[in-house]
Amino acid sequence: MIVSHDHIKNHLDGVTTTIQKGKITTIIGPNGCGKSTLLSVLSRNHLPKSGQVSLENRDLVLYKSKEFAKKLAIVYQQNEIPKDLTIEKLVSFGRLPHKTMLQRNQVEDEKAIDWALSVTNLLEKRHQDLEALSGGERQRVWIAMALAQRSEILCLDEPTTYLDIYYQIELLELIKALNEEYGLTIVMVLHDINQAIRYSDQVIMMMDGQIVAEGPPREVITKALIKKVYGVNAIFREDDELGLYMMSIGI
Amino acid sequence: MTKRIVSYVAVVVLLIMTIVYSATTGSIQMGFFEFFSAFFEKGNSSMEAIRDLRFPRIIVALFAGAALSVSGVLLQSVMRNPLADAGIIGISSGAAFVQLLIISFFPALFFMTPILAFMGGAFACFLVFSLSWKSGLSPLKLILVGIAINAMFTGLAEAFISLGGSLNVSASSVVGSNLTMRTWKDVSTITTYGSIGLIASFALYSWCNLLVLQDKTAKSIGFNVARARLIIAGVAVLLAAISVVVAGVISFVGLLVPHIARRLVGYDHKVLIPFTALLGAFIILLADTIGRSILAPLEIPASTIMAIIGGPFLIFLLRKE
Repeated sequence: MIVSHDHIKNHLDGVTTTIQKGKITTIIGPNGCGKSTLLSVLSRNHLPKSGQVSLENRDLVLYKSKEFAKKLAIVYQQNEIPKDLTIEKLVSFGRLPHKTMLQRNQVEDEKAIDWALSVTNLLEKRHQDLEALSGGERQRVWIAMALAQRSEILCLDEPTTYLDIYYQIELLELIKALNEEYGLTIVMVLHDINQAIRYSDQVIMMMDGQIVAEGPPREVITKALIKKVYGVNAIFREDDELGLYMMSIGI
Repeated sequence: MTKRIVSYVAVVVLLIMTIVYSATTGSIQMGFFEFFSAFFEKGNSSMEAIRDLRFPRIIVALFAGAALSVSGVLLQSVMRNPLADAGIIGISSGAAFVQLLIISFFPALFFMTPILAFMGGAFACFLVFSLSWKSGLSPLKLILVGIAINAMFTGLAEAFISLGGSLNVSASSVVGSNLTMRTWKDVSTITTYGSIGLIASFALYSWCNLLVLQDKTAKSIGFNVARARLIIAGVAVLLAAISVVVAGVISFVGLLVPHIARRLVGYDHKVLIPFTALLGAFIILLADTIGRSILAPLEIPASTIMAIIGGPFLIFLLRKE
């Protein structure tokens, strides 16, 4: 697969990978390594210049946009907050792929919206204005909108980056619950390596537009690879409660 | 919620009052009760004069106001820019220029003026869009590009009038706006195309609401952003072009009215679009009525009054940005 943003330089040249159904896959790597680009290709926001991306053995370009939105939802890193919009109204936008010009199922729409609001713990605030929410709540609202699509796959681009630690943990626990309880396939980009170790089944590590390693966290996130990819010396410790964790100690 | 209802009732009442006042005021004066009783009787000579002279003018003012204001709402939604207005960014002058071309050189095509003027407006809109696309449609950049496009088309039109000289007497009405001497034929043009545009814009309200999302987010929920933009912009240009053809260029309405309307009824286009139409109709009729009665028998065009109010308003909005 080859992707080009500017038609001059190629990115992700020759990248090949597979995302497993029902798992949490995390893409990590230093800034500018192409992790967000990979996610955006998987979610059809970018089309590859050459090569192919397929979902369930069908090329993404063959999906109609609404049909694809029923299969895969994505939450981007930074979202502008529209003015004068309630949480419920924004979440209801996620039902768009299920509507056609003539047909809509109101009962099903409401069920999906209620479900999305309840798993993101926003039911009580549904009539509040978006502008009145905290950063953590705003991020949950965008996730709720994506959940209202009722897709099997949920992509998240650096969902924790601008959040306080408390909200980071809250959000990652939510993502884990969505995977375990509702069987959603999760693909996300994370910055924090320890969070990647703790919350993923599969890790894809990238550098300079290439995949360096992929597999379960313990196999991918190793001293040698961290040094190679991030240029950082790290030590790894095993803790009875925490499991594996990493400390960066120098460059 | 109650604020919305009060606003709707208030604008409807004000609109009706202005219509009656406008119909009874001028060189032929009439009392309200006299007007209502004469309305239904045939052969009253003052009433016939009002019917022939004032009613067309009132209806044209109403539709032009509604069309330009709704056009502003649609453009602001499509360009994600609170400062977009058909008059300021050159869509109206593009349409006016084409109209002038037809009057001067192709009078045989006169009956096609609305459609050709639409194409002129669409061309101007396309230019503004494509020239400010790179900056991510940043509000200020778009306004600057729009002002340049507007200056170009206005300049071309003025050059034409100077060159043509005696060739086209009626052409001067194309550049400015003038609501005097509107006929029932003008009324049928603006009501036909205007109604189509207004109904279409209301039908597009849910798309306008979705355009508040960033493009990538809107795309991710399966929304065809490019198609929606194209269609909404098309309706906006149609509304602007048709009011230019019948009522001339009136700037700032499409900027002023939607802003006031949002303050009063909020951002949901389902409520905003009809309210904007009513408020726009009211404001242009009011401007026209004041313009022709304040210094009677002299007339100040509605566009001049709008420019006097709208200029400072634009500065106010720019300072707030």
